[in-house]
Amino acid sequence: MSLLKYESTLREPLVDGEKTYHQVTEDICRPVEEKANMGWKVGFGISVALLLFGVYSVYREVTYGIGQWNLNKTIGWGWDITNFVWWVGIGHAGTLISAILLLFRQGWRTGVNRAAEAMTIFAVMCAGQFPIFHMGRVWDAFFVLPYANTRGPLWVNFASPLLWDVFAISTYFTVSLLFWYSGLIPDLATVRDRAKTKLRKMWYGVASFGWSGSTKHWQRHESLSLVLAGLSTPLVLSVHTIVSFDFATSVVPGWHTTIFPPYFVAGAIFSGFAMVQTLMLVTRKVMKLEDYITLGHIEAMNKVIVLTGSIVGIAYLTELFMAWYGGVMYEFDAFYKYRIAGPYGWSYWTMMTCNVISPQLFWSKKLRRNVAFTFIMSIVVNIGMWFERFVIIVTSVYRDYLPSSWSVYYRPTIWEVGFYLGTFGLFFTCYFLFSKFAPVIAIAEIKHVLKTSGESYKEKMEHVEKESVDEFAHEYAHAH
Amino acid sequence: MEQKKYWQSFTELNQDAESFKKLAQDEFREELPFEMDEKGILDAKAPRRDFLKFLGFSTAAATLAASCEVPVKKAVPFLNKPEDIVPGVANWYATTYVNDGEVIPVLAKVRDGRPIKIEGNDTSFTKGGTSAKVQASVLGLYDIARLRFPLEDGKEAPSYDAIDKKITEALAGIGSKQIVILTSTLNSPSLSTVIEGFVAKYPSAKHVMYDAISYSGMLDANLTSFGKRAIPSYHFDKAKVIVSIGADFLGTWLSPVEFARQYAAGRRVSDKQMEMSKHIHFESHLSMTGANADDRYMHRPSQAGAVILNLYKELGGAVSAPAIEDKKLAEGIKQAAQALIANKGAALVVCGSNDVFSQLVVNEINMLIGANGTTINWATTVNYRLGSDSAMNVLLGEMEAGNIGALLIYGANPVYNHPMGDKFAAALSKIGLTVSFNERVDETAARCKYVLPAPHFLESWGDAEAKPGYISFIQPTIAPLFKTRAFGTALLKWSGASVDGVDYETYFKNFWITKLGSQEAFDAILRNGVIEPAEELIGGGTYSANGVPAAVAKLLETKKGGKAELVIYESVAIGDGKMANNPWLQELPDPITRATWDNYAMISKKMADELGIVVDDNYEVEVKKPVIKVKAGNKEITIPILVIPGMHPDVIAIAAGYGRGGEIKDAATAEKAIQTIGRTAAGTGVNVYPLVSFNGSGNQYFVSDVSFEKTTEKQTIAYVQSHNVYEDRTEVIKEISLAEYKATPQKLQEAAKELREKFGEDFRNEATLYDPKLNERPGIHWGMSIDLNTCTGCAACVVACTAENNVPVVGRKQVARFHEMHWLRIDRYYAANRDDQFNDINVVFQPMLCQHCDNAPCENVCPVAATNHSSEGLNQMTYNRCIGTRYCANNCPYKVRRFNWLDWNGADSFPDNQRPMVEDGYMDAVVLDMNDDLIRMVLNPDVTVRSRGVIEKCSFCVQRLQEGKLNAKKESRPVKDGEVKTACMQACPTNAIVFGNVNDKESLVYKIRNEEQKNRSYYTLESIHTLPNVSYLAKVRNTDRHVGVKEEGEHQETKAETKEAIPSAH
Repeated sequence: MSLLKYESTLREPLVDGEKTYHQVTEDICRPVEEKANMGWKVGFGISVALLLFGVYSVYREVTYGIGQWNLNKTIGWGWDITNFVWWVGIGHAGTLISAILLLFRQGWRTGVNRAAEAMTIFAVMCAGQFPIFHMGRVWDAFFVLPYANTRGPLWVNFASPLLWDVFAISTYFTVSLLFWYSGLIPDLATVRDRAKTKLRKMWYGVASFGWSGSTKHWQRHESLSLVLAGLSTPLVLSVHTIVSFDFATSVVPGWHTTIFPPYFVAGAIFSGFAMVQTLMLVTRKVMKLEDYITLGHIEAMNKVIVLTGSIVGIAYLTELFMAWYGGVMYEFDAFYKYRIAGPYGWSYWTMMTCNVISPQLFWSKKLRRNVAFTFIMSIVVNIGMWFERFVIIVTSVYRDYLPSSWSVYYRPTIWEVGFYLGTFGLFFTCYFLFSKFAPVIAIAEIKHVLKTSGESYKEKMEHVEKESVDEFAHEYAHAH
Repeated sequence: MEQKKYWQSFTELNQDAESFKKLAQDEFREELPFEMDEKGILDAKAPRRDFLKFLGFSTAAATLAASCEVPVKKAVPFLNKPEDIVPGVANWYATTYVNDGEVIPVLAKVRDGRPIKIEGNDTSFTKGGTSAKVQASVLGLYDIARLRFPLEDGKEAPSYDAIDKKITEALAGIGSKQIVILTSTLNSPSLSTVIEGFVAKYPSAKHVMYDAISYSGMLDANLTSFGKRAIPSYHFDKAKVIVSIGADFLGTWLSPVEFARQYAAGRRVSDKQMEMSKHIHFESHLSMTGANADDRYMHRPSQAGAVILNLYKELGGAVSAPAIEDKKLAEGIKQAAQALIANKGAALVVCGSNDVFSQLVVNEINMLIGANGTTINWATTVNYRLGSDSAMNVLLGEMEAGNIGALLIYGANPVYNHPMGDKFAAALSKIGLTVSFNERVDETAARCKYVLPAPHFLESWGDAEAKPGYISFIQPTIAPLFKTRAFGTALLKWSGASVDGVDYETYFKNFWITKLGSQEAFDAILRNGVIEPAEELIGGGTYSANGVPAAVAKLLETKKGGKAELVIYESVAIGDGKMANNPWLQELPDPITRATWDNYAMISKKMADELGIVVDDNYEVEVKKPVIKVKAGNKEITIPILVIPGMHPDVIAIAAGYGRGGEIKDAATAEKAIQTIGRTAAGTGVNVYPLVSFNGSGNQYFVSDVSFEKTTEKQTIAYVQSHNVYEDRTEVIKEISLAEYKATPQKLQEAAKELREKFGEDFRNEATLYDPKLNERPGIHWGMSIDLNTCTGCAACVVACTAENNVPVVGRKQVARFHEMHWLRIDRYYAANRDDQFNDINVVFQPMLCQHCDNAPCENVCPVAATNHSSEGLNQMTYNRCIGTRYCANNCPYKVRRFNWLDWNGADSFPDNQRPMVEDGYMDAVVLDMNDDLIRMVLNPDVTVRSRGVIEKCSFCVQRLQEGKLNAKKESRPVKDGEVKTACMQACPTNAIVFGNVNDKESLVYKIRNEEQKNRSYYTLESIHTLPNVSYLAKVRNTDRHVGVKEEGEHQETKAETKEAIPSAH
């Protein structure tokens, strides 16, 4: 016992069961090395089918025009941007878990960070589809890039929040991808080293960039993680802040609100964690990783959900207060007449119920640790957050300044829904591929915390707990 | 032979053949820039570089050749340029829009031989005013459903000569039977003489005139009262009090373009001129004119006689008028009478009834208030409507009796629009020779033996006499597109007058040259378009009250109406239905209902309640409206409803002019209607002409007893405005009563004043993040002022804008999805009295177009800078740059930006890729028809057609501004005020729209804003600091009632009620 790894036994273990390093590797690599089971195949098939339907929906929209959707002269954005913001929001948890929690030294992140990061990347990929394909002339989408061109002094409009989106999302995606991948390298190397076929060896060999596990590699890896964490941390806050600027900088009552940046970020974390829950609960069950994604993890995330849900709730109430207190009739009407009531009133109340009221149930520890309940809640929260974006976008523009232009009822067409389903297809196709071909839990990081926070190791510490301070100091001062 | 050398140049002659040949083989004689020798490229001195050069060149060449497949479009230049055509410069021809009896002198803009736009003729009695129909008429020229060749028994006839021969033979052999020329109102002097010549040749011939919307009752009444079967001129401008009983004189009654201008003259108030006429309106359904009234009262259509009698009584007539139960109406009649008496000699009563007895009493009323010779001018009568209902009925009787041998029909379509159209159709078969002169195979023509295609007025020679002495010429602006022939030519030929093939054109020219005395005089009129008396003759008629007692007695006999009554009205866009196949008109939202493409039953809230139709938010946002069954006698129609405030509680109103081509039952009937009437008109709405009844003297456009019931069906009505009240948003609409305006002229400026106090006089510069220098706009700064008081809502500007700017037609299905593309729209708001939301309403029309904000919210949100601001204050749209994020449209507080949801113009890179949309029933085929090569000839070549996926919007007609600036530049002078006009401004019959350079202190728009109308001017939504370049002049109503939003105190009290939200009613 040269080096004491000690964590109070009062803290919940992060890895349950009797685990050795080898056992960890076995457990996590198993799904990658085994043949895909039936569940995976069915799930993957459905995902690809959805993806193809989405591709067809987008094909129709691109070929025949945005008129394939039910947007109109008043409601210029509907499901497209709602889905965009929703997916971007979902893409927040991963980076938050990996970056901010890393900086805050939250050990429990190790169990979920890999999958959460993957989810982030896939969610941002899904999100990115919407602003691209909602363009009337998507073939000219490259106009948004400030590239050197032959069009004279023609440049992009740096004053436009949509342009900021382009930079924010692409930066976020790049950094998240790097972060995720750099974290994957040691684990891919593990898989490579265990690979039995030539193809796998080659494939994982290339993917792991020649990782040798040397101390130098580890040291560089750690530094890179820290640097990327540092880079990502402001991004977590900036991306959704900038997305919220799309609305906050406009003149539309219901959009033009300075509270949007923090409110959007909180909402994003809220929905991101809910999505992580949804995925993790399924993954741990299907891949039998209950020992690594423990009830403790679930509870920790539920705590984040109740916190951010409450922030979101306060933001909703603040908006209502400001609409009344501000004394601007357009804003007052937007909130009190056309959101709370009006033809879309139901969507507002769905949002309120799902986002504000239901997460409060998580104040109960029993419910926080209830897997089934958490799963339902995670879905509820994501429905609620979808409606939040829908409420913000559609119920603001459908009745704005000139009553003459107030819209008729907006229902999505099958192709609008199809596009959304298609992104689910994309997301889950990617996630299934990821879960099949890469370790969904960071092996190296689990090993890192195993001997301090593993259940069996903690039990071994119990005798230490019982020692008096003097005994403890004496023993370890002389132990070599 | 071998020795001979053929040479082309000295080089060739002097050089040896071999080297020349080699030289000639290379088309590009320059040596290629590669260092090459025999060893081949790879072994050359610098093979890598050369390889790259080759690679680069060949890739670029291959890319160019392979990828840029550009469709070949032919532009054939003139071989010999005609003297008067300069490519790119428009020619203008004075001509005349004539539709039945309606006469509007116009100028046709002809670009490269194609008429593309109609403007009013400033020198005529209409003073350059136009209407929606006039503006849209140019599209009718290119209507693809027009008949292209003469038909005999429904098949193409070999030639006109063959037809002429057959017809002259048939006419000669007619025997004792009559020959009848049936037309709608004809007021062409030359054509009248042609008909006279025809009658001289065939003594049994006679000319019958009949109008779909008849003024027969009025004509007959005037015959009794004034001894002339004529309609006098009206002078709404001279009337201080105008009382209208059901006459929609700004929208459809007689000569709305003329009346609107006169009316506006009396309605134009300013800080200096604080007086305006008072307009009191009695009607059953809400009409456009009623919407403009100061005070408006509702009655049942069967009650019109009672209203007239009561008014007569109040004015001192010795009659026992029937009691009016409705207190408000009774009070209204009293007040109208008082106002009329108080303004004796400057008052006018007009009545829209086609009942001879009602008109007789109205004539008497007008005598009592001294209108004869002041506001009613008998010295100049009008020729707009001359038809006779009874003559038509006599004709029908004769036809049924088999006394008619030949029927020549021109302009009239009785099978469709006569109340007994079915009988007429049946009787047609009894006539040996039936000839229709028509632009298309309409309902009547389809049953005629011969259909001879008639030219469009833009292809015709002709004349029209709107009033005696007011001559207006029609001249062709394009060679006939099809094998058409003038009606006059046919008659001349058949009369035998034209020995040497004299046609109507020659006849017309000779006629006028003889009349005017010289070719020069003729040419002068042709150039000016009109000849009018220097001053209008004004005088009264000799009145006789003989008919009044009998008329009063008749009116007293009027039976009380049933539980519900039906009104058949003419809609502003479609009119009597003749122009129903015009997509611009079909897509023009009705001024009141804001609905397009179909007719519908306008019903009251009370009726909706009875039918169990809940008029709430959901009613408002759902375009599918309940369908009802209306039963009138033995006739029954099913039609969707729209709940309209301001309808009499017991009245249903349905527009005539729809249901062309008969009921569409199946694919076969649909195809037939499309082939004959045209795709646009076929299947739109329901024909209600069969519900018109004849009361012994004239056709009555109402049914006094109908029953109605709800069906389970719902039908989509494509409307463009779902919400109808302005929700107390006084930043949008400002209105005030005349009394209040006089007492506190600055009241309307309070909000603006408050803004200035809060944010400083210099708020323009202070409230912005941008460099204040951007606000310095020397030179031209374009601005527009729109007077809500003189805007009548007639929508001429909307169609003018459509025509000028190639605004696409999107069809019913897409309008219903809120995809319509109009750059300019006329918002209609009801400002209702809270206590009586559905009955006591004021209506305000607000033309809404791009406000060209100097601090435009749309501009800074565009990621690609596709919309930007010009140094002249224009908010510009660069279609090429637009990628279609629609962010600008979301951020536009005025919601004037329009997105090309689908490929309306066929401008897509995927050719004809909207056909599947039509096949899926997703889009109307009309949109594709609009891309037909023929109809595309109407496009304005100065304006780009927009492709799918880009935003478009009002440009202040930038092409016109450019033209004006260039003209000024050529003459080295600044642009004069009034020199450049936007299309909407030019079309407006009331001059409600004024456009100009606001930096020019002499310009009208500057004066309006800063001098004349300082107190009425306001900017819409000023508080959001968009700094619009369009200002509005507040609506003033000459009434004692409270107008506009109630005071703050009252407002609070009534808040609870407001929440109920008024007319969600559509």
